[in-house]
Amino acid sequence: MIRFDGAAKRHPDGTIAVEGLDLDIPAGRTTVLVGPSGCGKTTILRMVNRMVEPTAGRVLLDGTDVSELPAAKLRRGIGYVIQQAGLFPHRRVIDNIATVPYLLGWDRKKARARAAELLELVGLAPELAKRYPFQLSGGQQQRVGVARALAADPPVLLMDEPFSAVDPVVRAGLQDELLRLQAELNKTVLFVTHDIEEAVRLGDQVAVLREHGHIAQLADPHTLLTAPADEGVAAFLGRDRGLRGLGLLPARDVAVRPLTEGSRYNGWELRLDPGGRPTGWVDLGGPAEPHPAPVFHPEVDTLRSALDAAVLSPAGAVVAVDADGRAVGTATREAVLAALTGTRPTGPATADPGPQRPDPQHPEPQRPEARRPDPQRPDGLDERPVSTDGR
Amino acid sequence: MDGEPLVRWYWIGDHLAYLRDLTLDHAVIALVPVLIALLIAVPLGLACARFPRLYQPLSAVFNVVYALPSLAVFVVLIPYTGLATRATVMVPLTFYALAVLLPTTVDGLRSVPDSVRQAATAMGYGPWHRLSAVELPAAVPYLVSGLRVAAVSSISLAAVGALIGRGGLGYLFIDGFQRTFPTPIVAGIVLVAALALVTDLLLILARRLLAPWAVRPEAAR
Repeated sequence: MIRFDGAAKRHPDGTIAVEGLDLDIPAGRTTVLVGPSGCGKTTILRMVNRMVEPTAGRVLLDGTDVSELPAAKLRRGIGYVIQQAGLFPHRRVIDNIATVPYLLGWDRKKARARAAELLELVGLAPELAKRYPFQLSGGQQQRVGVARALAADPPVLLMDEPFSAVDPVVRAGLQDELLRLQAELNKTVLFVTHDIEEAVRLGDQVAVLREHGHIAQLADPHTLLTAPADEGVAAFLGRDRGLRGLGLLPARDVAVRPLTEGSRYNGWELRLDPGGRPTGWVDLGGPAEPHPAPVFHPEVDTLRSALDAAVLSPAGAVVAVDADGRAVGTATREAVLAALTGTRPTGPATADPGPQRPDPQHPEPQRPEARRPDPQRPDGLDERPVSTDGR
Repeated sequence: MDGEPLVRWYWIGDHLAYLRDLTLDHAVIALVPVLIALLIAVPLGLACARFPRLYQPLSAVFNVVYALPSLAVFVVLIPYTGLATRATVMVPLTFYALAVLLPTTVDGLRSVPDSVRQAATAMGYGPWHRLSAVELPAAVPYLVSGLRVAAVSSISLAAVGALIGRGGLGYLFIDGFQRTFPTPIVAGIVLVAALALVTDLLLILARRLLAPWAVRPEAAR
């Protein structure tokens, strides 16, 4: 565990970077420091490995004041990842990763074997080992940076805006990778970012910082988004934080109705391909052309994805799929909303109440092509309509 | 030189051994100072990178030396190192090479991105260890670029030494001029150019071997 005990940093010119910080970083979890530039977050991070020495207070690593440890020895036991990766341009990828093992005096063979393991761990192909950093993409360089930080298996990992310099798609991939690694390795991670989305995505706890390293709020991401401590934090969290908070809740509590009970809503009927994957919703009173069917995977997706799919669905219901993309059931918008409040809808009352737009010119049952069973569909699915209107 | 052809081949044929000796002498006079300058520039450059306050005064001194005409310096040195000795020519050439190599060394050491320096520090390199293990290797392309300039200009300057009696191939220019006989002059020009070209090619080769990661040396400059 890392403990900041009144840690402060005042520059020689009198400017204050951090003013008396008290903060506990629990072991084995990810703590994110987030705040605008100049709030002192990087200074706080660097107090841990003594790249910044506090001018007052202490930083304790597992109970030991870090200022009592020799800097080089301390640093070799703490992984460090920075924005520009900071790979040594003159060393091949494998030797970049093995940097700390070499410094610790491991023999070359053992250090390289360990580096090869890490290359695989961070999801890079073994043939990249012989390349030089300039031959890698930004995302690959950042992965090598993470591998290098983990090479000597340090219990603590400091990450200073490690993913800020790559494009959003690559960044999302790197974030996923970090979540996966962390689930496997359980390092004590202290992560600095100015990106609140990244903070709530990666953090087990998030500290929102104001200037001089004052903590405006320290909370788990969901609490942060749904119950900001004050106006300032709410403003920093930005718009739609309620919706974004849904992105942190699992969708598995959404009440899913089996396909056999619900494949028709509001005059739309769900169509599946022979493999059971949804192909779209067909408007029973309109053209035969199917409308795309938004889906969610209850075991993996978040409530936000489920709600998004429900909003996009023309039928007002969303298709739940399994890992292979096969439809397992449907859920109405109401069922998704009910999951938000933690209460499930009761009974089948939300089943299709019949055509929403009674139109004497185009009564739905008079469009036989829309009712024709799909010959490619397994028997039964189409023959068991959910409707209660007696059609 | 009316009527005298530019090259009389028989003279060259008769003087092959002489031309070879002059070329070797020229190479030693011109290139040994560059090597000595390199051996001084690297530790001096490391010291300047470690203690940046050193750099300004040192580079000012070498710039002033660089501005002095070589012939004047040769003449000033004669009482100390002797007339027509190698040392009289090589000492100033060492200073000229240093004036080129010290800035390129320091620039090269400083060329390392800040992120690389910080990463090295964060992994537990001390300041000197980091300079020698991270910044110096990264400075190699700069050093080679500096060496190319220093070596070629040293080869050219060494010929001036002929005026005080020790200039390798430079002697051929004086000889040809005094006898209004262009053949030695042409031979000297060709051999000086060839020596410069070969040296340059060897240095490019050395960079490829020492710094295969620096694909675009122009970009690194």
